[in-house]
Amino acid sequence: MSETTPPAIDADGIEKRYDDGEDVVTAVDDVSLTIDPGEVVGLLGPNGAGKTTTIKCLLGLIVPDSGTIEIRGTDVAEHPERAHARVGAMLEGERNAYWRLTVRENLSFFAGLGGQQPAELRERHDRLLERLDLAGRADSVVNDLSTGMKQKVSLASTLARDVDVIFLDEPTLGLDVETALSLREEIRRLAESEDVAIVLTSHDMDVIEAVSDRVVILQDGRVIADDPVDRLGELFETQSFRVAIAQPVDELVRRRLDGLDLEVRGENDRLVIESQGTDSQTVYELMRLLEETGQELRDIDSVAPDLEEIFLELTDDASDARSDAQETARVVAGSGSKGGS
Amino acid sequence: MGAAEKTAGADDRSDPPSPSLLALFRVVAHKKLVLLVRYPVNTATRFATLVILFGLILFGGEAVAGAAITDSLAGIIVGFFVWTMAIVAYQGLAWNITREAQWGTLERLFISPHGIGTVMLVKLVVNVLFSFLWAFATLLAMMALAREWLVVDPATVLPLLVLTVASISGLGLVFAGLALLYKRIENIFQLLQFAFVGLIAAPVGEVPALAVLPVSHGSYLLQEAMRDGTRLWEFAPGELGLLIATSAGYFLAGFAVFQIAQRRARKQGLLGQY
Repeated sequence: MSETTPPAIDADGIEKRYDDGEDVVTAVDDVSLTIDPGEVVGLLGPNGAGKTTTIKCLLGLIVPDSGTIEIRGTDVAEHPERAHARVGAMLEGERNAYWRLTVRENLSFFAGLGGQQPAELRERHDRLLERLDLAGRADSVVNDLSTGMKQKVSLASTLARDVDVIFLDEPTLGLDVETALSLREEIRRLAESEDVAIVLTSHDMDVIEAVSDRVVILQDGRVIADDPVDRLGELFETQSFRVAIAQPVDELVRRRLDGLDLEVRGENDRLVIESQGTDSQTVYELMRLLEETGQELRDIDSVAPDLEEIFLELTDDASDARSDAQETARVVAGSGSKGGS
Repeated sequence: MGAAEKTAGADDRSDPPSPSLLALFRVVAHKKLVLLVRYPVNTATRFATLVILFGLILFGGEAVAGAAITDSLAGIIVGFFVWTMAIVAYQGLAWNITREAQWGTLERLFISPHGIGTVMLVKLVVNVLFSFLWAFATLLAMMALAREWLVVDPATVLPLLVLTVASISGLGLVFAGLALLYKRIENIFQLLQFAFVGLIAAPVGEVPALAVLPVSHGSYLLQEAMRDGTRLWEFAPGELGLLIATSAGYFLAGFAVFQIAQRRARKQGLLGQY
């Protein structure tokens, strides 16, 4: 009889509120997440959206007011030590390691802190240092390394022992392009080759888009989207064209373009024409108009929205909905109090 | 088949091995040793500061009080020896939590599969071992400086020292817990280091009730052992029993306070905020 492997992370209905004496702030509001082994999940959200609090709740570093969290089937609140047996976390960027120790000493320390004998992990550490391009600096004191290298030491020390789940908070912050790329490759390799589940936050949408299988967007502590990256792209796909022409259009042409119900804006000598759900007829009419008025086409692109645009769209929508709800509540409260007086 | 649907039998990671306590002890001790050796100027300065401070007390006291100091020289040496041990053990706990938070490594200690309580206990044991090195090195320097040679019978001094340091460690754990909750309390740490002087010098012989204070009774018994040559088995069982009871009491109370504080810090989301 086969027994199914539990998800890497299974969180259900997490809530965390802070009471500062005057106000109660809800940092995490009914967040539920299930993450499978080998899955990379990007956690996105504006500042103060609850990303870090969510990660710390998942790790048991912050105790939620309600909800349950299991890591590989172990309840984090009831058995934190057992839940942490195969968990690594890089929460403070390059500060996540001891700067007065060497790179290799850091790996040994964190392997031992995780309960594994460093001497038995020597080969693993060698491979890790090689992959992260740190082998040449293995015996350097971390304090003498660049910010990017310190960041890589932090990641290496997180992976210094066997882990099934890792949490990476802003792993590419402050890294140069080359280092960030190697870090992305390492994240994908860990997920694909070692079946490690990875939760990462980043303000760099390119990183999230490049490495994540799924994106969870938080705003005001709530999950407002939880979809595979491709699915998010489909949901927000707009029929968008970018038309470059050789010279600026005159007022008459601009008015005729406006008549086609297209969003028209100029970018230097470019005319950007964009509309959601544009049918083919409109595109034909646009082409005809440009031909009739003698516009010399330089380029035509079909443009799909990137994750940044999707993120902004979603968080704007959520903000608008919240403002509307607050306004409604204010009006209702106002009319209620008038009625009562 | 989704990853989550893989069979447990095919997954060799389903049962993580128990974390090795020996591995934890070794890496904590190794880190401590590496830092002592790698930064010799820092280590030497620390040692020199202690010896110079003792020299100032000794020669300054002789200049001012003359025979009064000379007569109580053994007591001063033992007191300074206990104080050295006390501050090394105490700093290793209370200050260490603050520094780990500043370095950004505190939360990593909390997600150790050993649990933060065990990690702190192992750090404590390592601290006590290293505090022995410091204290005995300082003791030798002090005895040479004062030309006063005391009785250092390991079978007597070591158990008494361990028990004395246990009560100090209890205080260290209390303040480590408070540092998790209230962050910048280094000034209180410093004040307490001076308060140790009063506790070590407490006249337990004249006022027996003072024996219930942390360190005081251990310091009193160490004075008798090192100055008068009293052996461990020559102490009254009641004296030793009281020392064991107070040391265990302070230590257990300190550990309980630390655990309450760390749970409250996690409840209030205070870890890592510095």
